[in-house]
Amino acid sequence: MPFTEGEPKRLLAWQGRDGGWGYLGGGSWTEPTAFALLALSAVGNTGPEWRRGQAWLSNHQRPDGGWPPHPAVTESTGVTCLPLLLPPSQPGWGDSPKAVQWLLAQSGRESGWWYRLRQRLLGVPADRLTGHAGWPFYPGAAAWVAPTALSILALEKCERSHPSPSLRQRLEAGREHLLARRCQDGGWNHGSSRALGYEAGSYPETTGLALLALHGMHDARLTPTLRLAEESYLQCRSMEGLAWLRLALLVHGRSPAPFPSGVRCRTVIELALRIIAEAAASGRNVMVS
Amino acid sequence: MRRRDLLAASGAAAALAGCRRAPSGPRPRVLIARAPDYGQKLHDLVRRMLAELKVDVRGRRVVLKPNLVEYEAGAAINTHPLVVGAALEAFRSLGAAEVRIAEGPGHRRITLDLAEAAGYFHFVPRFEEIFTDLNLDEFSPVLLSRPRSRLQRLYLPRTVLQADLLVSLAKMKTHHWAGATLGMKNLFGVVPGGIYGWPKNLLHWAGIHECIADLHALFPRQFILVDGVVGMEGNGPIQGRPKAAGVLVAGADPVAVDATCCRVMGIDPGKVEYLRLAESAGQTLEAHVEQIGEPVRAVATRFELLKEFAALRL
Repeated sequence: MPFTEGEPKRLLAWQGRDGGWGYLGGGSWTEPTAFALLALSAVGNTGPEWRRGQAWLSNHQRPDGGWPPHPAVTESTGVTCLPLLLPPSQPGWGDSPKAVQWLLAQSGRESGWWYRLRQRLLGVPADRLTGHAGWPFYPGAAAWVAPTALSILALEKCERSHPSPSLRQRLEAGREHLLARRCQDGGWNHGSSRALGYEAGSYPETTGLALLALHGMHDARLTPTLRLAEESYLQCRSMEGLAWLRLALLVHGRSPAPFPSGVRCRTVIELALRIIAEAAASGRNVMVS
Repeated sequence: MRRRDLLAASGAAAALAGCRRAPSGPRPRVLIARAPDYGQKLHDLVRRMLAELKVDVRGRRVVLKPNLVEYEAGAAINTHPLVVGAALEAFRSLGAAEVRIAEGPGHRRITLDLAEAAGYFHFVPRFEEIFTDLNLDEFSPVLLSRPRSRLQRLYLPRTVLQADLLVSLAKMKTHHWAGATLGMKNLFGVVPGGIYGWPKNLLHWAGIHECIADLHALFPRQFILVDGVVGMEGNGPIQGRPKAAGVLVAGADPVAVDATCCRVMGIDPGKVEYLRLAESAGQTLEAHVEQIGEPVRAVATRFELLKEFAALRL
């Protein structure tokens, strides 16, 4: 196996008594819990610990269908897409259709007609205003690369099991949103590729994540992006960056080298992403299948 | 007319009339010290600055909040790790019960990777043991009693809420939305990304200036130390050019410290909206601040401003 058996064990050791995971141990949050469960499902570990984690997620779905980032937060946010990435195989799993509806109702505030009209009147060039709706982290804010890419991956899974023209349309808008937010170097940063006319550079982690979300796209526009991803993979020393880049390169038919040695996994998310990416290299990519 | 326009108009009118509220107590003290480079002498300098300002943290829990945004070799984006290390040592030497370093970067998620790249592990002894990632910290909801922004409530990290003294270790930079980012704007980093995301964009939609003023009001026990040894001019806070100002600026009144930094940078603090919103006793006026150490005129150096902010020029 390309990864050691110790990694899933280490992940399980971080599971809280309540069944969820925190970012660094400690209290459980939605995001690390969802990524830990994805990682365990990637290595076929869907035993009692997995079910306890899934129950934790189910118990914290809000009446509006969404999930809060933490049980003590009283709003649903962009983390709602993460439980939708999990295989809905167990009885008692949360209300997925309601979660999909919640997610479909969210869009970046900047893609609303009122905001775009106001910006046009202020002289912002039309090519800088995207009508393609992405997803925000927090309701009422702008759309950003990470929540948009993760929502695309989650809704693709839903669309495969329940095909729907409206879902397809929204997915297409999300992909166009990502393409419109690319930096000049071909990659992505958090989502602000240009501020006051100045070009910003990309990050490895968001480049990998966005490229992964565009896995079905065979478009010449992605050629420089793939080249950048391959270069970034060789230089990156952050596990989050490496894992997203590796996942992206694999789905685009590349063969990235194994992870370099000595890169630490300091958080549950990093460890989970490492496991997910190693499993994908072995042929089981839970992010897209 | 929007509330912010109304406030701006009333602030300008008050300034024109020269009738801002006079300080009711002693004027806030702001110390400017020359610091030509990032060397070991910074340790002694910061200790002397705290002594001069009579900072008393005996038995208190102190949280140092640097400005850690992104890392790029040769850029002056982050509070220099030597300044952070010097502050850590100085507050410890003053008898603080605990000194932690805490930050929640707004763009990059893996804070420790960023801190490592920025040199914090190298320059700050046992950095990882004393660091809290504010993006992922335990948190509590806090109601804003009289918000300037559209926010009614914020979730904030317990590490900073429970601190006896929050020390904003800011970087002296221009900012392409706020005009300047100094001690007060640095508090955007306490808002948890784990809840609000990366970036913490809700604050922008709720009004950047207003949110800066709201965060300022939520933390009454602050101390500010601004790293202006090498700051950033032009398209700050990330893409601007390094600007050697050769100073550290410190004080317990965030508005007075930021206003003084603005004067050093060639910016009129009375035109910076968040300073006007937050000032309670005319601290944006030079006469309302007791400025010690180097006089502003001796260290002032014009930071290049984007054309959008030309009107802020002093």
